[in-house]
Amino acid sequence: METVEKQVSLALAAIGAVTLLVVGLAYREAHHTTDSVTWLLHSHEVLAALDGVLEDMTDAQFHARRSIATGDRLESSAYVSSQAQIRQRLDRLLPLTSDNPRQQARLRALERLNTNRLRFEDSAISMSRKTGPEVALQFLRSDAALGAIQAMRQAIAEMSAEENALLRRRQSEYESSRRKTPVILLFLGTSVLILLVSAYYILERDLWSRILAHDALRQSADELRDLYDNAPCGYLSLDSSGALLRINATLAAWLGYSREEVLQIREARPFLTSESVQKLDAAFAGFKEHGRIEELGLDMVRKTGSVMPILLTADAIRDSSGRYVSCRGTVFDITGRKESEDRLLKTVRDLKRSNDELQQFAYVASHDLQEPLRMVASYTQLLAQRYKGRLDSDADEFMAYAVDGSNRMQKLIQDLLAYSRVGKTGIPLREISSEHALTEALGHLRATIAESCAVVTHDELPAVTTNKTHLTQVFQNLVGNAIKYHGADAPCVHISAVKNGANQWVFSVRDNGLGIDPQYFERIFVLFQRLHGPKEFKGTGIGLAICKKIMEQLGGKIWVESQLGEGSTFCFALPEREGNSGID
Amino acid sequence: MASTELDAVPIEVFLVEDNPGDVRLMQEAFKDAKVHINLHVASDGVEAMAFLTRQREHADAPRPDLILLDLNLPKKDGREVLMDVKRSPALMSIPVVILTTSELDADVLQSYECHANCYITKPLDLEGFLKVVKSIDGFWMSVVKFPLKARP
Repeated sequence: METVEKQVSLALAAIGAVTLLVVGLAYREAHHTTDSVTWLLHSHEVLAALDGVLEDMTDAQFHARRSIATGDRLESSAYVSSQAQIRQRLDRLLPLTSDNPRQQARLRALERLNTNRLRFEDSAISMSRKTGPEVALQFLRSDAALGAIQAMRQAIAEMSAEENALLRRRQSEYESSRRKTPVILLFLGTSVLILLVSAYYILERDLWSRILAHDALRQSADELRDLYDNAPCGYLSLDSSGALLRINATLAAWLGYSREEVLQIREARPFLTSESVQKLDAAFAGFKEHGRIEELGLDMVRKTGSVMPILLTADAIRDSSGRYVSCRGTVFDITGRKESEDRLLKTVRDLKRSNDELQQFAYVASHDLQEPLRMVASYTQLLAQRYKGRLDSDADEFMAYAVDGSNRMQKLIQDLLAYSRVGKTGIPLREISSEHALTEALGHLRATIAESCAVVTHDELPAVTTNKTHLTQVFQNLVGNAIKYHGADAPCVHISAVKNGANQWVFSVRDNGLGIDPQYFERIFVLFQRLHGPKEFKGTGIGLAICKKIMEQLGGKIWVESQLGEGSTFCFALPEREGNSGID
Repeated sequence: MASTELDAVPIEVFLVEDNPGDVRLMQEAFKDAKVHINLHVASDGVEAMAFLTRQREHADAPRPDLILLDLNLPKKDGREVLMDVKRSPALMSIPVVILTTSELDADVLQSYECHANCYITKPLDLEGFLKVVKSIDGFWMSVVKFPLKARP
């Protein structure tokens, strides 16, 4: 901008200077022309006077001769007037030639020559009176008299030549100046024009860029205002005393007031519930110091009286010296969020209740079923014990089925009870030796191991933070399965543990048993799902479901790697945990 | 202890059990007992306390040498019966064996805190049940010496 202004000032200064030059030059030229014309007229005057002298001289000579010849008095007076005219003309020439000393010198010589000539003619006239016209005329024709006239003519010719030369010079000067001046004026005029055009160009360019910049500024201001007003969140600004300075259209629309109404109320408090006012005051107590309020949950009261849940985030605006000047706040409408949160909470509550009820039901059902079943089992067993062989063979067979059925049902209920117990909340977690848990599990399986001649081996097992009862149960179920589903060879089971990339202990129970078709990998962990009939392998289909539930409870994972006929490896990963905690 | 000395004196056992099936099983099991046992039965907590305090029709009831107590009883819970017995100066010296189906740790702990003398979970099969009764018979009837009966 400064350079543009400098350029424009320079151009204007140049225009001023050139204009002054033009005016000066024009004045000078005008003056010069007037001068030249004066001098030209002057020369013409001198020449005319000289020509007049020549004519008068001829007249005087003529009248002198006639006067002498005729003695006419009229001729005599004409002669006198001619001479007087010559005198007058010469007198007039004196001021006319005052500018030129050479012509003045010549004029003085001319006057002397005129006086000389006059003497000859006057002498001839007075001679005619004394001696008669013949002598007088003779005198006039004498060489001396004619010489005097000739000398005068000579002098006039010289003066005329000089004046003519002067005239020619002046004329040429006048001509040349008349030719030069328009060129100079044209040049200067063009210069002014060029300067004017450049100044205009500079101004125009600057003006346009200013207009464009102004337009761009206005456009961006409009855009910002649009963004401010139509943002999906509310904006507000408070001054240092807490009075409302500005709010955007979104916030005004949420409140149900016009922006002007809100700003007239000036205070933020009337738009909040009383609890929210307390919350806000508490949050603003330290605001000027720490300068920020983050996501403060408040309830805003609309014009209609309905309440709208919001989140307020506010920042302190400070001046360059760090003094608190104003506060800028952002308001988010969390009605939707709150509603979905409430819905979610309700769903979670409902789910938890229904889950608890289901768990309670499973527990109570299996527990209460156990009671009458114990009676059935005990008395069928008592019957079998006391009356076996004492009734007929059909009775023996029927009793055997009844005993077997009640036994299986008891096992099923016991397993179900165990399964429903896993769901109980708040199991304690401690750092325990997983090797101890395995040893305990193998203790429970002692009879099974001995019966099947199984070989159970294990690596050194780590200390882990978990629930010992649960871990023992998992080991017992997995090792029990590994032994139960054995192939032609005696069962060989090996237990090991390694850490995986996620810093979790992964335990493996590997066997040389039947193996599992990969298509059943998911299915075997589902409650009551079995791959064999009760005649092939006894079981309730709950063991692996218990293992899976325990793992879910502990935040771990269980899976199987196997090929049919190649043995199976059941793996489970326990999450990394700090000791002495409980999980819900 | 020589069991022969006690052969002449029958042992009074008081069974508090609401399930007649269990009562019958118990009777069957005690048939093979080494000592002579008088088994008295109450089917709820209120009746049990009436028997122990000799109220109403139980005015002539004997003071039991051993109480076999189920926890889940109608009218008055076994836990309350246990507490009443152990708080009563006249009854507190009678050994109480809790015989129940509950395996809950809380029940076990609470029973011992209320001075139960022992806690037994009823086995689910007949064989186990007979074994337990036999153990009670062997231990409580033959091995243990009871306090002298302070009969009125």
